[in-house]
Amino acid sequence: MNEELDSQLSAMFDDELAPGECELLARRLSRDEQLKARWGRYAVIGAAIRSERGVRLNAPLAGRVSAVILDEPALATAHTARRSGVRWWQPVAAAAGAVGVALVSVLWLRAQAPLAGAPLSAHLTVPSATATVPGAAVVPAAAAGAPDSYVVPRAPAVRVVVPSTELANYVVAHSVFSSPVTRRNLLSAFMSSESGAAAEQPPDEPEGNVQ
Amino acid sequence: MSADASDLSLVRRVQRGDKGAFDALVLKYQHKLVKLVMRYVRNPAEAEDIAQEAFIKAYRALPQFRGDSAFYTWLYRIAINTAKNAVVSRDRSPIEYDLDRNNEESYDMQGRLKDSETPEGLVLTDEIRSTVNAAIDALPEDLRTAIVLRELEGLSYEEIAAAMACPVGTVRSRIFRAREAIDRRLREVFEGGLGRAEELG
Repeated sequence: MNEELDSQLSAMFDDELAPGECELLARRLSRDEQLKARWGRYAVIGAAIRSERGVRLNAPLAGRVSAVILDEPALATAHTARRSGVRWWQPVAAAAGAVGVALVSVLWLRAQAPLAGAPLSAHLTVPSATATVPGAAVVPAAAAGAPDSYVVPRAPAVRVVVPSTELANYVVAHSVFSSPVTRRNLLSAFMSSESGAAAEQPPDEPEGNVQ
Repeated sequence: MSADASDLSLVRRVQRGDKGAFDALVLKYQHKLVKLVMRYVRNPAEAEDIAQEAFIKAYRALPQFRGDSAFYTWLYRIAINTAKNAVVSRDRSPIEYDLDRNNEESYDMQGRLKDSETPEGLVLTDEIRSTVNAAIDALPEDLRTAIVLRELEGLSYEEIAAAMACPVGTVRSRIFRAREAIDRRLREVFEGGLGRAEELG
């Protein structure tokens, strides 16, 4: 037996060997029966020195465990088998989940999107009779029998007014750089809001009124 | 030196499907584990059965071992749980051990007598002990001190080097030579059977 190898074995037994050397020696130890027997005797020497009371130094325990383990599947094989057993349904479950999320998103978006051509104000409702809007009149819950009403919130004191020609010029100038889809959306939104606002609300409508 | 590197290298091999590496772990820890289990059960044969069960449980649970704690700490925990469960199930069974737990000596002797091992097995254990002790007595002082500090006191090589005022490499060499000298005589006992220790003197 190589003395250097035995010296390494002794150091490995004491956890005093470098990890890299441990890897190499562990591979050899697991295959070399002679080396394994020496390793086992090192354990016996330690137990004898410590005078471990009641512990049989010639116990066939290691042989018995080894015999049981021999009938067991190797861990890497067993682990792989377990993993392959669950592998087939994982992509199916993932795809089903993705489809479900997409479907819910589409339905939700369709439910939330305003009807084409309908004025924006038609979708605004007061959640409950007791809901308050700062600066607005409160409709009491007792007036349940009264027809549905809409509370126009009080607008801020200073109103930022952008001249429509100025805004149109800006949009046109911006459209040179924006993508075609965005450009179309912006322009159409601008056009519809211009015409819609002019038709819907008179400019001298009093603020904070209950209609 | 990283602690537990040797155990971890063996554990990784077992996790990759190398059963032979697990034999090395069993060989290394079997005596310590039986001693630990004997805190719960005093019969050596029963303690060995529980230790065997603990090793098999550890083998089966090894894919879940990530190396966050030392392997032996993890193994000891399994052994303690196995021993506690064995004691509970034994206490529930109608067969009772009629032993005087206060009388340590008689309890230990009855445990030995319940041993399924033959009397020759007990004699062999005693013979191994006397062989090892005789071999240690025959060692040069520096080798004896090094091996005793390591095995009995559980000191690391660095601590032994500090205690003996020598380099770590010298400690490693002394411990190895001490083991080799003891192992030479021990091998003859294992290979020759009973009575070899007396012949060897």
